[in-house]
Amino acid sequence: MIGYVPGTSPLHRAHPYTPLAAAGAVLLSAFAVTTPASVGVIVLAAIALALVGGVLGRVARPAFVIALPTWLLLLVLHGLLGPEPFGLLGGVRISEPGFTRALVLGGRLTAILVAFLTVLAVVSPARLVEAMTARGVPFARMYLLVSTLTLVPRLRARAGQILEAQQCRGLALGGSPVARVAALGPLVLPLVLGALVEVDEQVLALDARGVTSGARRTSLDPPPDRAAERALRAGMAVVVIALFAARFAGAGL
Amino acid sequence: MSLVRLAGASFTYAGADAPALRDLTLEVGAGELVALAGPAGAGTTTLLLVAGGYAPRVIAGTLTGERTIAAQRPAIVFATPWTQLTGLCHTVHAEVAFGPASHGRPREVVLVAAERAMRQAQVDHLEGRDPATLSGGELQRVIVASALALEPDLLVLDDPAAELDPAAADGLYRLLREVAQAGAAILVATPDLERVAPVATRAMWLEGGRVVKDGAPAEVLA
Repeated sequence: MIGYVPGTSPLHRAHPYTPLAAAGAVLLSAFAVTTPASVGVIVLAAIALALVGGVLGRVARPAFVIALPTWLLLLVLHGLLGPEPFGLLGGVRISEPGFTRALVLGGRLTAILVAFLTVLAVVSPARLVEAMTARGVPFARMYLLVSTLTLVPRLRARAGQILEAQQCRGLALGGSPVARVAALGPLVLPLVLGALVEVDEQVLALDARGVTSGARRTSLDPPPDRAAERALRAGMAVVVIALFAARFAGAGL
Repeated sequence: MSLVRLAGASFTYAGADAPALRDLTLEVGAGELVALAGPAGAGTTTLLLVAGGYAPRVIAGTLTGERTIAAQRPAIVFATPWTQLTGLCHTVHAEVAFGPASHGRPREVVLVAAERAMRQAQVDHLEGRDPATLSGGELQRVIVASALALEPDLLVLDDPAAELDPAAADGLYRLLREVAQAGAAILVATPDLERVAPVATRAMWLEGGRVVKDGAPAEVLA
């Protein structure tokens, strides 16, 4: 499940910038550290974020499905085909530096995936719009961010409708892998073409609702941004800066 | 007072060989409700886009002839409500309030306008619902409310009752008459001649992008 899941967790109730800042901190921290152990800590931090949001069960599956092929590729490329020295792991000859590299890269990917899938699950697009409106963010930037966050659920809903319609017309989805791939055509084409046609009408609808008026949008229900949350976000920024400082100072994290 | 005036206007969509509107002259004033009708491809939708000021500003194409739009607050409603959602609002109330909020009107003014528009379109009982969970008819009434919340002085509608049941369609046309009587200029393209004829102040029949009849609804739409 990718997309917003209504809830009452601390992350759901938080100002939308707080979970976004947390995910941003995970992303930057993942690149600030270079050892498997440190990356493991970042992965644990991302998992903790999902736990606090009460959405770990929801984000675990898509994170696993997306990360698994990359993990396999990394382990083969770096672990099996990496440089010397070699060692044995479960009876398989692997490159030690390559395996370490695969763990670091795979860990970074996993942490980033879990953190951002958590953000998608806990940040209501409507609250994010209100928060950004209250800060005077230009509509175009706001729309770009929020429509990106809601893209997957919208495409998924549309794909479901197309799938049902095509099945009513006799599209068979089972069979061999080749038949399954062939069945993608009648799904993907209407999905893409339909989305393009809708874009035209939605641009018109948004224009008619005044988004190009040039006026500063009125925020109707801005989410509260408590001092504690602002301090938390500042704390995250300090941690990220400290991690990069440690890395460039050769701390070996 | 004339809110929209076209004189010898023609419009050709970008990439099209032939104009969709040809040499069209039209003047619509405050309080008028003009019904537009014609066979498929007659140019009624294009006329709405041109008269509302959306083509060629938003919809690419070439406009020739004269166009004067004195209306300050135009609004548009299409037949397909799901493409008119902002995609940014999780409640009907937020969706309806989106337009006036985008114009930067004060919060209290936006809220009053949204509540009045929801009552007018009879969707006030849906205000807390997610628009994505509504039926086509409910959604279309929400879109009408969203347009009314802008307090338009020019309202253009393209087949606005397509998703509505007969009772809701009757209610919509009654509402349009009230909005026109309150001073707005309304252009409505519709195949629903029986419903629009009693409420329209004037009707135009288009064919091939040209006006072939213009006059009293009872005569033009008969």
